Amino acid sequence: MTSFNLNNSPFWAAVWAIVWKDLQIEKQTRQTISVMSMFSLATVIMFNFALEANLAAARQVATGLLWSTILLAGTLGLNRSLAIERENQTMEAVLMAPIQRGAIYLGKVIGITLFTLILELILIFVFIIFFDKPLWRPPVLLVLFLGTVGYIAAGVIVTSMTIQTRTREVLLPVLLLPLSLPLVLPAAMAVAAYMFPQTPPFAEVQSPISIVIIYDLLMLSAGFLTYHYVVES
Amino acid sequence: MLTIAPMIQINGLVKNYGLNPVLRGVNLYVRQGEFITLVGPNGTGKSTLLRIVATLLTKTAGEVKIGGWPLPEHAEKVRRYIGLVSHQPLLYGDLTAAENLRFFARLYRLDNREERVMAALKTVGLLARQRDPVSTFSRGMVQRLTIARATLHEPDVLLLDEPYTGLDQDAARLLDDLLRKEQENGRTIFMITHDLVHGLNLCDRALILNRGKIVADLPSSQIAPHDFLDLYAEHTGRHGG
Repeated sequence: MTSFNLNNSPFWAAVWAIVWKDLQIEKQTRQTISVMSMFSLATVIMFNFALEANLAAARQVATGLLWSTILLAGTLGLNRSLAIERENQTMEAVLMAPIQRGAIYLGKVIGITLFTLILELILIFVFIIFFDKPLWRPPVLLVLFLGTVGYIAAGVIVTSMTIQTRTREVLLPVLLLPLSLPLVLPAAMAVAAYMFPQTPPFAEVQSPISIVIIYDLLMLSAGFLTYHYVVES
Repeated sequence: MLTIAPMIQINGLVKNYGLNPVLRGVNLYVRQGEFITLVGPNGTGKSTLLRIVATLLTKTAGEVKIGGWPLPEHAEKVRRYIGLVSHQPLLYGDLTAAENLRFFARLYRLDNREERVMAALKTVGLLARQRDPVSTFSRGMVQRLTIARATLHEPDVLLLDEPYTGLDQDAARLLDDLLRKEQENGRTIFMITHDLVHGLNLCDRALILNRGKIVADLPSSQIAPHDFLDLYAEHTGRHGG
């Protein structure tokens, strides 16, 4: 019988080892979250000043601005996290360990998702202060979580492919942003539906949330099954 | 522990990068506990050969077996028995020496992790620096820690790709001692180097690779360093240093 014990399974042991390592590096350097946060805050403040004359317009575009900020900050986090593996070619040492390639993929996805979720917590409070939006609601948090998982799941595949190229900084957003459109559009629609004082009926958000979940499952499966080809020569 | 001999068995190995052939039919047999040094000019396929044995590259044609297990079919199984030391440290500069080894101990699911990490640090003389980030280490210290990382899981085969690059004489001497200890522990060692005489002094067998083929394979005890340099020049048309 297959064991799903997270401590004894070699697969999950490898996943947590990768996550633990990424958290340790972040604990030592605090580079990923601080870069993502600084970029996000600068973006939000710039937009706030640009739209200050028309507060109503600012509030209308707040949901789109929130997602744009998350996506762009997410690419910074993805680049930084995979660049760590490139710096001393440490990925080679990881690839030489007797672990499944899918475990490396999942470990990277979990690590970068954690960093992005921390950023989103900061962003939610910034948006509440600047745009007076009711973002601190469980359904909104759920959609943000699901959207982040899908975006990072796609991002780790693309970043792993582009990280060895000279134009990686340009290639990542050029490839990833169009790829994430089928995720971001329904996710933004679902969040926008919760921006009114009254809670929308579930039927109204069911379809976009379902698309986000299907996208997550597709990207996680694709990454898990193909990471072997992505990282090996 | 792998017990099947030969430890490394390569027959008719071919590797092409696109239309460019790099290895053109390499045959090689390495017995358990042997120390092999492979030399050759740049671009002849030394690193490619090592990376195929390290399971990091796949072959185009031919047969590669480690401990009797064919690659790449049994790569995941074989990886437990291989350690790689490259001229790149393959270590995380932002983590401390101990954290680096703990991470790899977790990846290899080693028992008694903490004891093994501390013992490995002691062996390479870095116990006192265990809490320092690797980015603060000298090149020699990094290479000693690299050896600790590569041997933490007690591999049967140790692969070395230009391990002396950038080391000063003291650090090179320390690395010599560490490699001799590894050989005494029964490890099979396969080293690539540009330093012909140094490589010859350490090994049991010296091989010359030229244009994707092994053109000379000699026991080191049967050839003097100056004869080896002449042989290298004869086969490659270049002078070895």
